[in-house]
Amino acid sequence: MNNSSQPPKFWTRLFQWLCNDTFYEELQGDLEERYVMNAQEKGSRKAKCIYKKEVIKMIRPSVLKKTRTRTRLNNIAMFRNYSIVAFRTLLKNKLFSTINIVGLAISMAVALITIAFVTEINNYDTFHEKGDRIYRVNNDRLYDNRDPGHYATSSILAGQRLRDEFPGIEKVVSVYNSLNGDIISDGQTHSVRGYFVSAEFLEVFTFPLLYGNPETALDEPHSIVITETTAMRIFNRKDVVGEILERNHESFQITGVLKDIPNNSHLKFQALGSLATYQTSERGRRSISDWTNMWSSYVYLLLPEGTTSETAQVWLDQLSVDENNKGPRFNIEMKMESLASIFPGDGKYNQINTVMPKENVRSMIILTLIVVFSACFNYANLSMARSLKRAKEVGVRKVVGARKGQIFTQFIAEAILISILSLGIAYLLFRLIRPEFLELNFYISRTVALDLTTNIYLQFFTFAVAIGILSGMVPAFLMTQFKPVSILKGAVNLGGNRKFGIRKILIGIQFTLSMGFAILVTLAYKQYNFALNFDLGYTTENILNVALQDNDPKLMKNALESVPEVLGASLSSMIPSTGSLNSDIASRLNHGDSINTYSIMVDENYLDNMSHKLLAGENFNTDLVNDQMIVNEQFVEKMGYSSNDEVLGERIFYYNDTFRIVGVVKDFHYGTVYNEIEPFSFVQRTNNFNNVNLRVASNDMVATMSKLSEAWERIDTDHEFNATFFSESIERTYNTLSSSMKTYGMLAIVAISISMLGLLGMAAYAAEARTKELTIRKVLGATVYNLLILLSKNFFVIIVIAAGVAIPLSMQLFKTKVVQDVEYGIEVGFWELASGALLVSFIALITIGTQARKAAKANPANSLRND
Amino acid sequence: MKGTHLGEFQEVVLLVILSLDSNAYGVTIKQEIMNKVNRDISRGALHTALSRLEEKGFITSEQGEAHEDRGGRRKRYYTVTNTGLTALHEARSLRDELWSQIPKIKLYPGYGK
Repeated sequence: MNNSSQPPKFWTRLFQWLCNDTFYEELQGDLEERYVMNAQEKGSRKAKCIYKKEVIKMIRPSVLKKTRTRTRLNNIAMFRNYSIVAFRTLLKNKLFSTINIVGLAISMAVALITIAFVTEINNYDTFHEKGDRIYRVNNDRLYDNRDPGHYATSSILAGQRLRDEFPGIEKVVSVYNSLNGDIISDGQTHSVRGYFVSAEFLEVFTFPLLYGNPETALDEPHSIVITETTAMRIFNRKDVVGEILERNHESFQITGVLKDIPNNSHLKFQALGSLATYQTSERGRRSISDWTNMWSSYVYLLLPEGTTSETAQVWLDQLSVDENNKGPRFNIEMKMESLASIFPGDGKYNQINTVMPKENVRSMIILTLIVVFSACFNYANLSMARSLKRAKEVGVRKVVGARKGQIFTQFIAEAILISILSLGIAYLLFRLIRPEFLELNFYISRTVALDLTTNIYLQFFTFAVAIGILSGMVPAFLMTQFKPVSILKGAVNLGGNRKFGIRKILIGIQFTLSMGFAILVTLAYKQYNFALNFDLGYTTENILNVALQDNDPKLMKNALESVPEVLGASLSSMIPSTGSLNSDIASRLNHGDSINTYSIMVDENYLDNMSHKLLAGENFNTDLVNDQMIVNEQFVEKMGYSSNDEVLGERIFYYNDTFRIVGVVKDFHYGTVYNEIEPFSFVQRTNNFNNVNLRVASNDMVATMSKLSEAWERIDTDHEFNATFFSESIERTYNTLSSSMKTYGMLAIVAISISMLGLLGMAAYAAEARTKELTIRKVLGATVYNLLILLSKNFFVIIVIAAGVAIPLSMQLFKTKVVQDVEYGIEVGFWELASGALLVSFIALITIGTQARKAAKANPANSLRND
Repeated sequence: MKGTHLGEFQEVVLLVILSLDSNAYGVTIKQEIMNKVNRDISRGALHTALSRLEEKGFITSEQGEAHEDRGGRRKRYYTVTNTGLTALHEARSLRDELWSQIPKIKLYPGYGK
């Protein structure tokens, strides 16, 4: 029979697929017989054609598969049976059930945190009615051919010009981020945080007023709108429109009371002043004409419906080009950012409020998925290992008439049951770890509350069901493949002895992850310690920084210095080495060179107090005018001077002023381990100080603190004495590192315990399944030690392979993700890498060892007498 | 089950099965209908009719021998049951009665002239 006498294969297969099995044999036979006849009479081409037509005409209800109609009848009864069987299995195998439930519960608790967290993050700024049309204007600062600096701020000038010259924009809102400080009412001082905003603010954003007219509330200078909570705090009532508040010797009239700001707003404030007020001040008037004064004001746009952000971006580009052509000190490119992408945000400078970095959210999701998958692996692994025990049940079910789909449903349902049980425990764990999580870092504590809503509960439940399906899928599929005949005959080989079983791969993946986590934690801890104990090039020991809080610097310094334990005191504008930096472009007078230079303002005592090393020149001379600056070695080098001495006496234009260099200090780390040392200067000033730095020597810190506090109160009774040790501030600076260490640490514990649970289960199973073999070996003379080796050998190989994968991977991850921006990092040596892997291997071997020992020690008579 | 009415096509199928005697299976039935009644029907349509007839209890079927031309698949032979026969007779007598009630003049124009 040659090939042409066979009907087209594809059509045959198609027919087989759609035809009801009961009729297939008869119909296909008839079709084929007819085809053979046709092929002989009319030629095979014609015959094929007829055959195809016949197949197509087979598409009719009487021929097609009848799907499911027959199984629908007694589903409820079957489900009841499934759940009874599931519970019995749970109770029968207590060890395995516990391992499964505990493992799932731990991983689900982590997942619940993530779900609540991500939901809350995604819910930010969703309450603005016109939210989809609101955009923020961001500035890219271009300077010196460097990578542009991305800022969330824009100049007030930009806002003004957009408002005046681009009628295509519906509304422009300007926000000036500084209505912070004290407000006085009836002689009482209250501290308030807020913004100066232009009149459109209340129309564009949905912040409803309880009292007052939103359209006019912020029109006039010296108008202020406060939130209801603030009103209650100051006046103890809410309807306070018309009352007067005093700030910086100016009177403000309250023109409105706002409903409290929702938690999920990226704009957070207690009071809003009219921007018109700010523009009456001298600083305000100056700022309005300066394109490069972009540091603390924000511009938001409301576009009309139908206008795309691309259109508006073109307008922004026009304006940027126009202003940049005027030759400002640096160029700025303005960029649109939609309201929805402000929070969670990316690393822009000068955000109006803490934003949750996008990468944090992403890495949290990824880590959670890893942990959850790991627990699902456990479930799949143990269920597959135990499937032999269930094989007979499946066989009987199949013989009685269960279809594949029904067996599948049964095992999925069982997995869902377990995952819902775990959800219960996970929920309790979630309540336990929520406060810990909220404390983890300031991003989290300032932005989310993890409040539970119905929506979130619903998500928890859906998640549990999804996990059930996910973890039950592989074992359920395996069960459906059983052939009843061979099961009932007792001749089942599930491939448990294969060299590369899927179970081994799953365990291997788990181990790789656990070791990876353990290594990452070790590395992060080392880096954290390194950063804390980093030699900064000056002394921070026993230095107590006191926040001045608007007090007279000299007065307060003298008061605090009078405490006997204070060895020295100085004044500074900010605390170096804690992350905050100020910079401006410094240029040599009568010379073209200019460079970006960081600075802090200090008094003449600062350098001595902090033990800075002067390499040339001398400290600030108090008898002379305040135009002196002391620079670091980098400044000397980058500015193009040949020696430290050459720089002395040079005149530098800096911060709109001319300074004279009087000294050179040795390079020190004014930044963090993330920054390289760049040109830096100490600038002499007598005002603009924010901190008193006290060098303290004391045996009884508590007593000294109370003495200092008393001294403080002699000058200022309105504010609390607020002092922090320098080393503490530095510790806080590396909060990100410490919190990522905590996160990884927690996840490492979770991942390791989950994989150990899995391993425990597998080891127990291996020992159980080979009981007979082990006892026979023992009877024949094997020692306990022999048996231990026999049982642990397979696992040991897996552990070694896992370590081989985990070490290079986690090393790479640490370098590219965790310390990518660190300029001064740790050396990663053999022991840093190996210790994590060794720890995990050690715990694993103990886990296996206990199980193997139990099996090896058992009395052979107990297991052999049953035969 | 939808009543026991015998459709026109179903009647043809029954008669063809009877005429084929013991050799009535899918291919032969289809061929016979083509030859005798000159109707080309698809195998699928025939299947519908056969299964309907079987549902009504007018025919029964049993599996027969396999053949190489059929890809080694077995035939299914159909036989008419007594109920089927009765239904055929009823259909015929019903028709005969109707025929007999019609005046011959109507049936044969020019009769008796």
